[in-house]
Amino acid sequence: MGLVSIILLSACGTEELPPNPLALNSYYAEEQPSLSGNGRFLAYLSHRDGRRRILMYDLQERQFVALPGLDLRGTIAQSPSLSYTGRYLAYLAEDGDRRTLKLYDRLVGQTQVLNWGYRGWIGHPSLSEDGRYIAFETGENGQLDIAILDRGSRIEIDRQED
Amino acid sequence: MLAILVRILRWIPHWNVSRGEAFARLSPVRTDNKPAKASPVFTLASVLCLLLLSGCGGNPGLLNVPFDPGGRSLNSLAAEVAPEIAGQYIAFVSERQQRQNIYLYDFQTRHLVDIPGLNAIDSIASDPDVSADGRYIVFAAIRQGKSGIYFYDRQTRQLRNLTADLPAEVRNPTLSADGNTIAFESSANGQWDILVYDRSGQPLDVPLNPQ
Repeated sequence: MGLVSIILLSACGTEELPPNPLALNSYYAEEQPSLSGNGRFLAYLSHRDGRRRILMYDLQERQFVALPGLDLRGTIAQSPSLSYTGRYLAYLAEDGDRRTLKLYDRLVGQTQVLNWGYRGWIGHPSLSEDGRYIAFETGENGQLDIAILDRGSRIEIDRQED
Repeated sequence: MLAILVRILRWIPHWNVSRGEAFARLSPVRTDNKPAKASPVFTLASVLCLLLLSGCGGNPGLLNVPFDPGGRSLNSLAAEVAPEIAGQYIAFVSERQQRQNIYLYDFQTRHLVDIPGLNAIDSIASDPDVSADGRYIVFAAIRQGKSGIYFYDRQTRQLRNLTADLPAEVRNPTLSADGNTIAFESSANGQWDILVYDRSGQPLDVPLNPQ
């Protein structure tokens, strides 16, 4: 088994913020919340506007956070997970029967694919506070087990303080 | 680009050995014992991967996750799901004792951490999350037919239902690193919405619903 991490920088798209800038919820379903380590940001799935998309909300400023460059084109995004300050956002992108583990860097506005070359089933990613490790469900051995991806020691880690 | 890679290949002595050892760490495990017969395209792709990897991180790849058929480690013969990583801990759900229970694994000491009183014989636990110091665990559970968001303090061994007074189904809790903030899904409005509580079970002052 192996998991190859490779940076595939995606073309930057611009995600529009929800029209109601204040309320966390809408008249549609909101699911799969994930708090940043510092407790300030909340990433979740929203079904508003007739589609599923990942939103990020600033609980301190009570407003949505723009996610420029978050690559959601042609896929169904799910299972968001945030690092300590919310700089990194790990999530699953589903395109037909293909699932991709992606990592969005809010600081540089780019999305990278983490499971390039990995054929096993992937579910429920969870990002460590520093953004280096990602625990996830794998179906590689014919049942659901836990695997941990290390992005390596040379990444820019998320800082641990506000 | 390819020409440069070919030149690099020619300059590396004992290339086949180093490539084989290095790529084995990052590629799917072979189920047979046959020596790898890589095509030039595969070789170049491998080198490209390694060059890119060496440029973007120290040693990226899968960690060697411990497995114990006796159920005393992270993975077992049963299913393990819903991992949440924080600090040096991973909280997860496993059916290793023929029940759907929550476990806490310390991947620095590589041992399961004792969480007495968290799992109950009359409940189904799911979706755990843990604070960075491993003291607090939040999870969803169905107990006596009613779902709840439970908060466990490993130091005091106290377990509290944060949503006992909430007339709704609840699920998917998430916890901040300091254990002070909890968000979860609630069906109170006839659809799944997000609620945000503090550790004592009080809602945070956040505008939740559209005006």
